[in-house]
Amino acid sequence: MPREVEPSLNERQFVLQALQENLRLDGRELDQYRPLELNFGEEYGVADVTLGKTRVLAKATAEVTVPYTDRPLDGIFTIATELSPMTSPSFEVNRPTETEVLLSRLLEKTVRRSGALDTESLCLVAGQKCWSVRVDVHVLSHDGNLIDAACFAVVAALRHFRKPDTSMEAGVLTVYTPAEREPVPLSWLHSPFCVTWSFFGEDGEIAVLDATWLEEQVRMGSCTVSLNKHGEICQIAKLGGTPVDAVALLQCTSVALTKVKEFSELMDRRLAEDLKRRDKGGFMAQLRADNDR
Amino acid sequence: MATNERLFVLPGETIDPSLIPTHKKHPLRLGPGLRHIPPSDIVPTVAGQLITNPLKNSMWVEYNSHRYIPSQGDIILAQILRSTTDFYLCSIAPYSAPATLPHLAFESATKKTRPQLAPGSLVYARVSLANRHMDPELECVNPSTGKADGLGPITGNGCVFDVSLGFARRLLMARSREDGGVGVLEMLGGEEGGGLAFETAAGRNGKVWVGSESPRTVVIVGRALQETDKGGLGIEEQRRLVKRLVKEMR
Repeated sequence: MPREVEPSLNERQFVLQALQENLRLDGRELDQYRPLELNFGEEYGVADVTLGKTRVLAKATAEVTVPYTDRPLDGIFTIATELSPMTSPSFEVNRPTETEVLLSRLLEKTVRRSGALDTESLCLVAGQKCWSVRVDVHVLSHDGNLIDAACFAVVAALRHFRKPDTSMEAGVLTVYTPAEREPVPLSWLHSPFCVTWSFFGEDGEIAVLDATWLEEQVRMGSCTVSLNKHGEICQIAKLGGTPVDAVALLQCTSVALTKVKEFSELMDRRLAEDLKRRDKGGFMAQLRADNDR
Repeated sequence: MATNERLFVLPGETIDPSLIPTHKKHPLRLGPGLRHIPPSDIVPTVAGQLITNPLKNSMWVEYNSHRYIPSQGDIILAQILRSTTDFYLCSIAPYSAPATLPHLAFESATKKTRPQLAPGSLVYARVSLANRHMDPELECVNPSTGKADGLGPITGNGCVFDVSLGFARRLLMARSREDGGVGVLEMLGGEEGGGLAFETAAGRNGKVWVGSESPRTVVIVGRALQETDKGGLGIEEQRRLVKRLVKEMR
């Protein structure tokens, strides 16, 4: 496994020196994100997120399975993260690095544990049949701030996803194909987003949003805040690094809220655009047998 | 001097014999991207612009690849990985075999006066040996004169910016503005950029070091280089870019 390239001493020194003067190498403000783009695929549940040079693809799928015996009334919801050698040669298949473990753990905490998806609505027959919803996160290119991009992609994929419609008649469960019945969206309760702050300087006095890969290699510590647009905080993760002043952290969360509102707005807009694109329009078009439901 | 006429070739294409230069004394030299298939076929192996030099009786294909393959005489920007008893191991391209830089391959270096370089330091070096199945070797001194000729450890304020290999070659051309179409550095130091003071060290491995007393200048120059490279800007667009960046960052 080839080792990750470390930035040179000159680069480390310069990044810090420039940040002391409120300068970043790509000319952004300290609390400015790189251009965030969201595209949906032809199928339901495919979201492609680009954040500068970072690119993440998330795909949601659903299948009918048997629920866990200890949770007969709940469906199954899993998020699978994979950092392949395509992202960077230093990642290897089946040998998760620290980055990968932290990424999947944070996504789990943010999306699954915050109850964004109502798992009870995935239950079909108590104790016998339920939907298993799975989101696969593929990191296509890594230029820093994977967590925010991956979380955005997962939420977008799940909100875009439609699962096949089902019905229950006289103990017979029927799953309809998209041609028979329009697929139905998941029961989505709220949309949490991650905002990651990176801290630089001796005491972590410089806080920076959306760090690039070079900045991530140089930073003293980081803190990920997950919250939804109503300001409800789902989790805060500050894993090691330098201690940061509590007041500074509070300020970070309030800035994070404004960013999350922007994300939320972007996602709503893109979802509405996608819906409009799929809508063939007109009653006759809807009634046609070959309607692309 | 390369001719202005630029022919685009594809791999395996036949090259018109009239394009192949002839010379009374020098033998024909083939550069990167061309392959001689005996007895008399010359076939391009990559897609790019065919460039011929009648004075040196040489020809090659100019293309923009992503992976740097060292060849003898290239000036590159290398990063020290670690030191062994006799030489430094340097990284010249990510995820590739390290190159060796002997401790004594610096200007007026002896066992006692050789520069002590910590892991992570940068050196501006020349590739002195590059064979296909061996680790490349570097040097920071001209072996015939014993002078550094501008090579050596890079110190001072500055940062490294990654550019494409094709752009790095264009930057390193003797007349980069006329032949390579890169005037952005001249403009930044000249009238359009308001006379920014900076120095650069461009390496053929796609890395450019930009140094200046003021970090703002380094950021402006680095961004100008990267955006010129990314957008494939012409001279006039480069002028506009420089003006915009200088205005934006002031």
